[in-house]
Amino acid sequence: MLNFLKQVGDYAKESVQAAKYIGQGLSVTFDHMSRRPVTVQYPYEKVIPSERYRGRIHFEFDKCISCEVCVRVCPINLPVVDWDFDKATKKKTLNHYSIDFGVCIFCGNCVEYCPTNCLSMTEEYEMAAYDRHELNYDNVAMGRLPYKVTQDPMVTPLREFAYLPDGVIDPHELPAGSRRAGKLPEEILAESQPAAEKAAD
Amino acid sequence: MGQGIDLQRSFVELLTQLGLPSGAARAIWLPLPMTLILIAATVSIFVTVWLERKISAAAQQRIGPEYAGPLGTLQAAADGIKLLFKEDIVPSKADPILFTLGPALVVIPVFLSYLIVPFGQNMVITDIGVGIFLWIALSSITPIGLLMSGYSSNNKYSLLGGLRAAAQSISYEIPLALSVLAIVMMSNSLSTIDIVEQQAQYGILGWNVWRQPVGFLIFWVAALAECERLPFDLPEAEEELVAGYQTEYTGMKFGLFYVGSYVNLVLSALIFSVLYLGGWEFPVSVSWLASLLNVSETTPWLQVITAAIGIMMTVIKAYLLVFLAVLLRWTVPRVRIDQLLDLGWKFLLPVSLVNLLLTAALKITFPVAFGG
Repeated sequence: MLNFLKQVGDYAKESVQAAKYIGQGLSVTFDHMSRRPVTVQYPYEKVIPSERYRGRIHFEFDKCISCEVCVRVCPINLPVVDWDFDKATKKKTLNHYSIDFGVCIFCGNCVEYCPTNCLSMTEEYEMAAYDRHELNYDNVAMGRLPYKVTQDPMVTPLREFAYLPDGVIDPHELPAGSRRAGKLPEEILAESQPAAEKAAD
Repeated sequence: MGQGIDLQRSFVELLTQLGLPSGAARAIWLPLPMTLILIAATVSIFVTVWLERKISAAAQQRIGPEYAGPLGTLQAAADGIKLLFKEDIVPSKADPILFTLGPALVVIPVFLSYLIVPFGQNMVITDIGVGIFLWIALSSITPIGLLMSGYSSNNKYSLLGGLRAAAQSISYEIPLALSVLAIVMMSNSLSTIDIVEQQAQYGILGWNVWRQPVGFLIFWVAALAECERLPFDLPEAEEELVAGYQTEYTGMKFGLFYVGSYVNLVLSALIFSVLYLGGWEFPVSVSWLASLLNVSETTPWLQVITAAIGIMMTVIKAYLLVFLAVLLRWTVPRVRIDQLLDLGWKFLLPVSLVNLLLTAALKITFPVAFGG
């Protein structure tokens, strides 16, 4: 009998505990309702990509020396470099260069290793197409520069979280000229320069 | 009764004064409240869908529908029009008759149950003696429709969903009925009007929540399960069963399920507020306030105000419960089927039985407080 009563008591205790946890959960969801939405209304508002954003790769045809380093460092040997050896000048001449962005994983190895810096990352990420073969960009397509979000009159550019002033979490309606938390790279450089000169003296 | 506004009598009197026989006047009156309730139930879908989407968005720090109408209020209309114009597909190996009959059988009982939802003393389509029992009986028809549509779809997921829906509805019907029975025992009547009247004496303190706290919780859990709301939405669990018995449905047949689920939610909230939260009663008794101000209860303007307050209070209470249901949806994870049946048969059923017996005992011991 006592054992049975203990069982009933334990069961009741567990039920109360479960009810308490559900109450706690409800208070959490209720609290979330008073927070500001984090939505970026995408086609009308866009987040400004950070300076290290790895978007579609840009290619400068005239700088390329057809060394094929990009092909070798690529995880899947994706860039297609079409060149001929010019016997008169004893140099390679580049005919075509293409990367299939439907296959590219945007790891940035090619950009990193390109000896002449003819490859670079852009901030373009809207590459939707009706056919996957349209994503195979040739050197002309890769030579185009993307439209900047900040210059598009149709778009309200919004800063990313890390680029907001200290303590601000909402990118909407920032006052003009508000700065991100911390110093800019060039400011750090300017501060460290005099110190370095002094050290040299 | 008799103090509240009586639209039917006034309407019939008006028409008989115009020279119509009273039988004809009654016949003219008859379709009016029905149409009104039908429209009200349909509009309530719009409100509920909007609330559901907006509250869900707020709980997840999103914005929710914004472009369809002011603040996205017309989103439900947009969805409805889209469903209306979609092609009506019956899968080739499905049973076309049962497949078509299923959604209708799910929706009709829900709308029929609005017969007994009171919005004021005389503001109910029919004050039949077995009111609340009619609701329980009608809500038992729904699982047949669900099973029908699940079985006739000729699809594993649909069949599983339909079976789950039937199992769930049947096992949660019993604690639901038992907790309603405790209320019925206290009010000595099955009529929804009498149930509210019995709670009316002491304002908010007289409501059944205070006398039936356990029944209150059981009823809410069981009602959520009956409506297939999130902690208990196994029949249409998206992650496991695609959409359960709704998988093969498109167009207006799917729309009927959609409408049925939201109307059922509002209906359950309304019944809940009638059973436990004093129905149309204001937290402070209106008749007491009237006697304080020395106004007779039969004064026409007071009757109109009381009726307006009554409708408002019923709707506000119901929508507070809908809000709670939406909040619960984003708080509580879905239970497994075995946990669901465990909760129904091994927890809610014994607890509601004990609650019923306790209510009976209290009724005999304290007949004043428990409606002896």
